[in-house]
Amino acid sequence: MPFGYHGRYLRIDVSRGSGEYVPLDDTVLRQFIGGSGLGVWLLLAEGAANADPLAPEAPIAFTFSPLVGSPLTTSAKFAVVSKSPLTERINDSLASSGFAIAGKSCGCDAIVIVGRAAELSVLIVDETGVRLESATEHRSATCRETEAALRSRLGANYRIASIGPAGENMVRYATVSHDGRHAGRGGSGAVLGARNVKAIAVRGTRRPEWAHPLELTALSKSLSQRSLGPATAKYRELGTATNLVTFNRFGALPTRNFQSGTFDEAASLSPEELSVTRSRTRASCVTCTIGCEHIYGGVRVEYESLFALGSLCGVGDAGMVLRASQRCDELGLDTISTGGTIAFAMECVERKWLDEPWLKFGDGEAMLRAIDSIGSREGLGNLLAEGSRRAARTIGHNSISIAPQVKGLEIPGYEPRALQTMALGFAVGPRGADHNRSGAYEVDFSDKVDRRHVTLDAVRHAIDTEDKAALMDSLIVCRFLRGVFEDFYAETAEMLHSVTGWDVSAGELRETARRIVAAKRQFNLLAGWTPAEDTLPERFLNTPLPNDPAASLSRDRLDGLVAEYHRQRGW
Amino acid sequence: MHVEFFGVPRERAGLSGLEMNAETLGQLLTTLAAQIPSFGKFIGTDEQGSHLHPAFVANLNGDRFVRDPRTPLAENDCVMILSADAGG
Repeated sequence: MPFGYHGRYLRIDVSRGSGEYVPLDDTVLRQFIGGSGLGVWLLLAEGAANADPLAPEAPIAFTFSPLVGSPLTTSAKFAVVSKSPLTERINDSLASSGFAIAGKSCGCDAIVIVGRAAELSVLIVDETGVRLESATEHRSATCRETEAALRSRLGANYRIASIGPAGENMVRYATVSHDGRHAGRGGSGAVLGARNVKAIAVRGTRRPEWAHPLELTALSKSLSQRSLGPATAKYRELGTATNLVTFNRFGALPTRNFQSGTFDEAASLSPEELSVTRSRTRASCVTCTIGCEHIYGGVRVEYESLFALGSLCGVGDAGMVLRASQRCDELGLDTISTGGTIAFAMECVERKWLDEPWLKFGDGEAMLRAIDSIGSREGLGNLLAEGSRRAARTIGHNSISIAPQVKGLEIPGYEPRALQTMALGFAVGPRGADHNRSGAYEVDFSDKVDRRHVTLDAVRHAIDTEDKAALMDSLIVCRFLRGVFEDFYAETAEMLHSVTGWDVSAGELRETARRIVAAKRQFNLLAGWTPAEDTLPERFLNTPLPNDPAASLSRDRLDGLVAEYHRQRGW
Repeated sequence: MHVEFFGVPRERAGLSGLEMNAETLGQLLTTLAAQIPSFGKFIGTDEQGSHLHPAFVANLNGDRFVRDPRTPLAENDCVMILSADAGG
């Protein structure tokens, strides 16, 4: 067994309330590393691709990585991997902090959960083994309330990942939350809710040794120092919220369900405005030296939440947007899918396809009402809890053409017509429209392409960002470090060598990244993927951006980019 | 021409924009470094002229992103300076 690993995963059947350790072959660990990569391998090994993601037999994997527990900055992360109930395709969502370290300290490289508990339960993994305890008293509790109550009940040194009411109600974009952060996209919370598991509490003492501790310490110091430089200044000093004004200036801020790329009230959602009447503090994940979390008046603010619950729904009242973001956190809802689905419904109301006249663009109170109804699945919320793609099928009127999704996953805050390398990234993303598994927007914001008229040359750049993301999500290190590396593959190879002892090269890690991307595709193929899924909704392919007619993306151009992507991937 | 700052460059410069005259991007950055020392530490110089730190990038008129100091500028251009790391 290599250093940095336990060489086994813990497979728990919550129907029986017991678990068993399953060995992990060294070859598998070297080929898939951990995090997203290991999670996809485990799901393939479990035969999850053909299962209904909400059925008892469908597994959900919490995966750690060789770097977890090391002094490398941002390495305290875990991945939650399952078949998505929103997309019916692979879903890997990541979150940070103490759960990753405590979970790995339980003596395993991953925890795989199958089955369905007899009652709403908390799954406890500690030195004594695996057990289930009733969580019925925590039914309908928010994520934060659940964590606080369980730490009070079990002990402060347990680390807890939980679902909110949305997960219990199997909202298809419910999150898994830990310490105020969320494994947000794709509905992991619904999968855990379908297991009847309200929370997982972990505590352990088993830590694997590092192969070259002195080398690891030196690398960690160097990385930490560099993480305090200009490449991460945006995240440290302003947080991702600063994107909103910038994107608005470039006509790339999705507004009113992607009907525009500019929002007249964008300035009211800027960090400067948010801090005028609110306290502003910063927070960090465990082991992180960047500290990207900016908290305004007690609410953690991210660009994606501001865009989805702000401009996308036409809401410029910062107080309303922060309340909506906080409510999503409490209920355990992915803010992007929540905002995207509500904005879609608002446009359907505007077009008189949906008879819910109270739900209007710009009405913050209506947005809050919609969020609560989604969390409880009451009234209109029961339809919106299915996500925009399924809702469109019910609403009819070819509303699927304006449903802001790819493969069922709602589109994040990057207008595809104005950022066309990102448009490609969205179209081919294995988990759907996604800015984390493809960082193609970086290409659009560079001198490598003309962002509104991209050519086939953009494809290799898009693939490069996707490969790097696959490796970062498997090692795991935070993608906010990406600007820090001068030679990404060589430096991450050094990190992995110092932890595991493997004589791993930059070239090998390039191949590993491609292998992980290919494994996700393999999962999707088994789950029923067809080439027709690698596209964007009609709206983006037949309507230029009203505020910027040069931002036009035809079906032919996108199809050409997708075909070239598949060709370069060798698929 | 008009120069606009976004995000960290705006924080460092202490203003959202200003009017300047320059024939090339390199000339513009040289003048910026002299006028705004707090921003100047993110401007380096090589044989081709002044250039931005890799963590920052310049854009012309919302169209092209540019790095080459020799990039010509016209009187009515708008030069936007922002963090190169655009996502989040």
